[in-house]
Amino acid sequence: MADLVLQNLTIKYGSVTAVDNLNIHVASGEFLTLLGPSGCGKSTSLFAVAGLNHATSGTIRIGDRVLFDGNPNNTVPPEKRNIGLVFQSYALWPHKTVAENLAFPLILRKIGRAERDERIKEALGLVEMLPYADRYPFELSGGQQQRVALARALVYRPPLLLLDEPLSNLDAKLRERARVWLRELQERLNVTTIYVTHDQAEALAVSDRIAVMSMGRMRQLGTPRDIYERPADSFVADFIGSSNFFDGTMIESGTEKARIRLADGSEIVTPPGPAGKDGSVVVAIRPEKIELTGETGPNTMRVSIEQRTYLGSVWQYAVRSGAVDFRIQTPSELKENSILVRIPQEHCAVFPEKPGAN
Amino acid sequence: MTDISHAGTAGRGIDRSRAIYWGVAALTTILVFGPITPIIFQAFLDKPLYDDTAVLTLGNFSRLISEPGMAGVFFNTLYFGALTMLVAQVFGTIMAVLVGRTNLPGRKWLGEIFIWPLFVSNLVIAFGWFTMYGPSGFMTLAAKTYLGGAPWNLYSVTGMGVVAGLSQAPLTYLMCLAAVTKADPLLEDAARSTGAGPFRALFSVTIPMIRPAIIYSAVLNFVVGIEMLAIPLLFGGPSGIQTVTTFLYNAGINAAVRPEYGIVGAAAVILLIVVALLVWLQGFLMKSSGRFVTVRGKASRPSTLDLGAWRWPAFFFVFAFAFLTIISIFGGIFMRSAVSFLTPLIPFWKVMTTANFENVLGSATYVRSIVNSVVVATIGAAIGTFFILVIALVSRRSDFRHSRALEYIALFPRSLPGIIAGLGFFYAVIWLPGADIIRGTVAVLILAFMIRYIPVGFGAIAPALAQVGEELDRGARISGADWWTTVTRIIVPILKPALFSCYALLFIHFFKEYVTAAFLYQPGSEIIGTTMLQLVAQGDNGPVSALATIQVVITAAFVILARRVMGAKIYG
Repeated sequence: MADLVLQNLTIKYGSVTAVDNLNIHVASGEFLTLLGPSGCGKSTSLFAVAGLNHATSGTIRIGDRVLFDGNPNNTVPPEKRNIGLVFQSYALWPHKTVAENLAFPLILRKIGRAERDERIKEALGLVEMLPYADRYPFELSGGQQQRVALARALVYRPPLLLLDEPLSNLDAKLRERARVWLRELQERLNVTTIYVTHDQAEALAVSDRIAVMSMGRMRQLGTPRDIYERPADSFVADFIGSSNFFDGTMIESGTEKARIRLADGSEIVTPPGPAGKDGSVVVAIRPEKIELTGETGPNTMRVSIEQRTYLGSVWQYAVRSGAVDFRIQTPSELKENSILVRIPQEHCAVFPEKPGAN
Repeated sequence: MTDISHAGTAGRGIDRSRAIYWGVAALTTILVFGPITPIIFQAFLDKPLYDDTAVLTLGNFSRLISEPGMAGVFFNTLYFGALTMLVAQVFGTIMAVLVGRTNLPGRKWLGEIFIWPLFVSNLVIAFGWFTMYGPSGFMTLAAKTYLGGAPWNLYSVTGMGVVAGLSQAPLTYLMCLAAVTKADPLLEDAARSTGAGPFRALFSVTIPMIRPAIIYSAVLNFVVGIEMLAIPLLFGGPSGIQTVTTFLYNAGINAAVRPEYGIVGAAAVILLIVVALLVWLQGFLMKSSGRFVTVRGKASRPSTLDLGAWRWPAFFFVFAFAFLTIISIFGGIFMRSAVSFLTPLIPFWKVMTTANFENVLGSATYVRSIVNSVVVATIGAAIGTFFILVIALVSRRSDFRHSRALEYIALFPRSLPGIIAGLGFFYAVIWLPGADIIRGTVAVLILAFMIRYIPVGFGAIAPALAQVGEELDRGARISGADWWTTVTRIIVPILKPALFSCYALLFIHFFKEYVTAAFLYQPGSEIIGTTMLQLVAQGDNGPVSALATIQVVITAAFVILARRVMGAKIYG
C-alpha cells in the first residue's frame, strides 16, 4: 500500500482555473473524501490523479513513484499508473460478461489463466457477486453493477482506489447501506482511497478525512468532526449541514473570547475569530445547537416563533428577535409563540464575511 | 495483498498509439490531397505536368474563358444544377410528407420503392430514362401512337434537368422523411391545442421545422447536379449540349488526340472551387439549425394525418410519380435486356431473346468487368471500412493533438466531384514517383473510391461512436490498456452494427461507381460502370441493358443479404 501526495496541483483549461494549487497528503490506507458542490474541481482533481485529465502544474506522487512532475508533456499515461477507478456510471463494458469485465485488466497484466480465475473469484466474492459471473451488465440491477464496477477496480490489487460518486445512481435506502458496506470493505483491504461526492452526509459517514472544495480551491481539510464542528470559513459552515448566520460588529476581541453586537442591539459572547476591516463579522451557529432556556443570562434572547415546520425527526422553527431572523430545531413541539433561547458560546464560529461573499 | 507493480515511469517518446495517430493523419492527408495537388499544378502550367520545361502561367484560365462556347457550358451547368435541385426538392418534400405523415393508402410499399434509385448509379437510371422516354423510347412511342404526341424532349438542358431532378427526388425524400417522422408530435399537439387545425399545424409547425433537411438536401442536389456525368452525357451528347463534367470527360478521354491539359486543369479547378463553396455554404446554412432541433432522444410515434376525401387522389398522384419515374425506369431496363428491340408496337413475346445476356456472358471483357466490380466492392468496402474506422477513432476518440484537422481533411472529399477525383488520381499515379505500379489496376480504383466515400462511411460510424460513453474508454485506460488496445478491445466490438452499415453503404457506392473510374481503368481493370459508359457511347443498348440488369440484381441481392444477415441499416 502507498500514500498519495498532491503538491501545488493546478489544472487550467485555457483561462479557466479548474483546480488551484491543491496540496493533499493521503496516508497509506486512509479514506479521504473530496467534497464540494458541482463544478468545484473535485472530479477534475480525481481524474488528474488517474491520468485521464491533464494537470497544468504541480506534482502527483504515489509512494515514491512520480506520476506527474509539473511538465504536461511528461506525464505517466493512465494505463501505466496501476490505479483502480470506479465511475459514476460504472462504465462496465456492455459486450463483456461480469467475469470478462474483470478478466480484461488481468489479461493486460499478462496473468496466467489459473491465477486470473482465482483473482476474479476472490474479487467477486468480496463484493458478493460470485453467482453473477456469467451475466452481462445489462442483466444486473444498478446496485449490482456498482459492485461489479468496484470488483473490476480492485481485481488487479491497485495500491490506490479512486471512487467518483459511485453511489449517486442508487436510490436513497440502498445508498445508505452501500456506503456502510463500502467503508467496511475498504478497511478490510486497507487500500488507500479517494472518494468524490457532493453528498455531505455520505462524506461525514465514510471518511477518515474530508477535503472541502469550492471553486477549484480547498477550503478545509480535516476529520468529519473537525469539518462539522470547527468549520474553517463561512463556506464550509454553510455547505456542511446548515447554519444560521448573524450579522454583527466586533466590540471586543480577546484570546479566549470575543464580544459581538448583533443587528437587534443585543450582545453575545463567542469564541475569538477574524473580523472584517470595518469590524463587521458574521456569527455562525447551527439550528440544532441553539438551546431553549428558562432564565435570562449571557447569550440568551427572547424570540417570537414566526413559522413552524415538521421535518419528521425534528421540528424546525423560524424565529425572530427584532431585525434578526434565524432557525432553531428541537425534537419536541413548542406551543408557545414567544420563547427564550440561548446561543451556546462553544458552538459559535466567527468569520469576517458571509458565505458566497468570497 | 501484493501489488502488481508496473515499471512505468514518466516520459513517453513515441508509443504505438502516437505512431498510429501520425500514420493515419499522414496517409489521409496524402490520399486526399495527392489527387488534388497535380490538378491545381496543371491548371497553372503551360505544358503537361510531367514536362520538365513547363512554367507557371495564368494562360490556361484566359484560354478557357476565351474558348468559344465556354460561357454556354458554364451556363448550362448552373442551369442544369439549379433545375435538378428545384425539381428534386419539390417532389422529394411532397412525397416525404405524404408518406411520412399521412394515412396515404400503400404508404409502406410506396416508401420502399422511393428508396430503390439510391442503390443504383445514375448511369443506370439515365439509361432507363433513355430507354423509356428517349426520342425512340418505349413511353415516347406509346404516347405518340395512342395520344398523338409526346410533349417531352429529353435532349435539351431543361429536359435533362427535369430528368435529373426526378431521379434525385429520392435523396430529398430520404432526408426529409427522417426529419418529418422524427419531429416531436408534442409540438404539433401544442399548435392543435392553441386552435390550429391538423393541416394548419402540419404546415405552420412541422414543415418549417424540417427546413434544415430541405436546405441540406437542396445544396446536396445542386452539387450532384453540377457534377453529374451520366445524364448530360447521354442526353446532351447527341444534341451537342455540354456541361463542365462532360467537357472534362470528353477533353480528358480525348487527351491523347488533342492535348488540352491546361484547359482541363483550369476547368477542374473552377468546378472544384464552386463545389467547395457550395459545401461550405451548406455547413454555414446548417449552423443555426439548433433553432429547428426537433429530434428527441426518446422514440416518439408521429401522429398520422387523415387526408379524408383526398386519400385516393393523393394515392394516384404518389403512385403515378413512383410508376413513371421509378418503376417504369427499372422495368424499362429489365424489358430492354430481354428483347432485341423494345417498342410498344410489337408484342413483347415476339422479340424476346436471351441474346443480350449471352452476348455479355460470352465476352471475356464484360465478364471481367462484372468480376472486377464485385471484387472492388467486396474488398474495397472492407479496406475502406477499416480505414474510415481508424480515422473516426483517431479524430473522435483519441488525445491526438490534430484530431480536428484530421476530421476536416477526411471529410474534404465531400467537395471532390467524382470526375475530378478520377482525373486527379490519373495525374497522381503518373506524377508521384513509384505510384506507377498501381496505374490501371483494380487497386487504384479501390483507392480512389475509398477516398471519395470517406464522408459516407464516416457518417455511418460517427453517430454510433458518439453513442458509446467516454467512460468506457476511460475505464479501459485505467485498467491498464493503452489507446490501441482500448479501441480494438472495447470500442470496436460495441460498434459492430455500425461497421456493418458502413460496409454495406461502401459496398453499394463502390459497386455503382463509374465516374471516378472513367479515367483510371485500363483493359483488364474495367468495371461494370466503365464498360456501360463505353457501350452507351457506341449505342450498343442490348448489352448495356443486360449489364445494368445484372448490376441491379447483384445490388438487390446484396441489400437483402446485408439487411437480413448483417442487420445493416441502409437508408432507414
